[in-house]
Amino acid sequence: MSQVELYHEQTARQRVAAIADAGSFAEILPPPERLTSPYLAQLGIPVSFDDGIVIGRATIDGKKVYIAAQVGPFIGGSVGEIHGAKLTGLFMAAARNRVPCVVLIESGGVRLHEGSAGEIAIAETMRAIFDCRARKVATIAVIGSDIGAYGGMGILSACCDFRVMTEHGRLGVSGPIVIEKWMGKQAYDSSNRALVWKTSGGKTKYLLNDAEALVHDNAGAVRAAIAKLLRKSGPVNLETAKARQQELEKRLKRFSGTADPDDVWKSLGVRDIERASLASAPEFVELVKAGKATVGKIRR
Amino acid sequence: MEKFAKAFPSRPLKAPKDRRWALAGVVGSGNLEVMFERNAGGPDRMECHVETSIPGYKNSWLAALADFAGHYPVGGTKVTIHDQGAAPILVTLRLRQAYNHLTKATT
Repeated sequence: MSQVELYHEQTARQRVAAIADAGSFAEILPPPERLTSPYLAQLGIPVSFDDGIVIGRATIDGKKVYIAAQVGPFIGGSVGEIHGAKLTGLFMAAARNRVPCVVLIESGGVRLHEGSAGEIAIAETMRAIFDCRARKVATIAVIGSDIGAYGGMGILSACCDFRVMTEHGRLGVSGPIVIEKWMGKQAYDSSNRALVWKTSGGKTKYLLNDAEALVHDNAGAVRAAIAKLLRKSGPVNLETAKARQQELEKRLKRFSGTADPDDVWKSLGVRDIERASLASAPEFVELVKAGKATVGKIRR
Repeated sequence: MEKFAKAFPSRPLKAPKDRRWALAGVVGSGNLEVMFERNAGGPDRMECHVETSIPGYKNSWLAALADFAGHYPVGGTKVTIHDQGAAPILVTLRLRQAYNHLTKATT
């Protein structure tokens, strides 16, 4: 056990075990239940016992939570009918029982093989998330895997109260390759990893206030960040939605002419780009806080 | 897709009774998932169910599973496999991992 466990290298079940209090996780619909996709067999694709998502009850720092973890290696962590139903049910239970809900995201969005069912499941999960928020039940998305949170899962993560990210995590709607295909390589080069991470990676998302916490690529750090956020929940109403819309309009105006993500970083108060690029997540957070004085009120 | 099932003779399983099942691996390209469940059939048989996306290798599968049942005391278990083109060496590794999860304290 002397090796360092990196969050992005762990499996979904390992992540849940490392984030929950030791031995507290009780899986709902575990693999022996065999709740598998009814569609994949017709396409010659093998099913998975848990349809690519682990859900259950646990405690974190002694506090009850519902927790879900997506299995990225199974069809890209994609949301099929069963996968989505498990996620929806978990958030519905969270709202009903007023227990915070944490989702460890590793997904490109809807499973195209069962597209309509997946789209509907994501929409239903969003409704359940807003039910949670209406009842002041905290909802937290963790984004720290190789796949990140894209498509419907990117949108879904933005519906949650909070996003905890690592430098490894990426958040977006259309993935880099999709953007390149539509807009051309000159507009967005998906093979330029520095560019991709600087536009959708954890550091930039934290800087833009799209992620509330940026932590080490380690389950212990993720767990600590979740524990801090469990108490809080933000309401969703017309007022907050309008305020957010204004914020985003301002952002668009401010950065729409910017071609280089470094300029966005600079404009948000990062003075030493190289140092910030090489900084670890907590160091980066410190740099952002130090830069705050020069940019004024960019952070809430 | 190819599906088949067969039972193999094996010595009875020695493992804590509270652990009902164990899982190893994932359904991904060149990978597979293996689940062990307790007390399926008789105490001296390992019951196997295989579902694979690559047809035509039934004999190799049966040989690998018979070999495993001969080497490890897994009587009284049911093994279910979802495969997406794993190499034979990986099949054996996943079987051993799942067996370890079932019988030993895991971290």
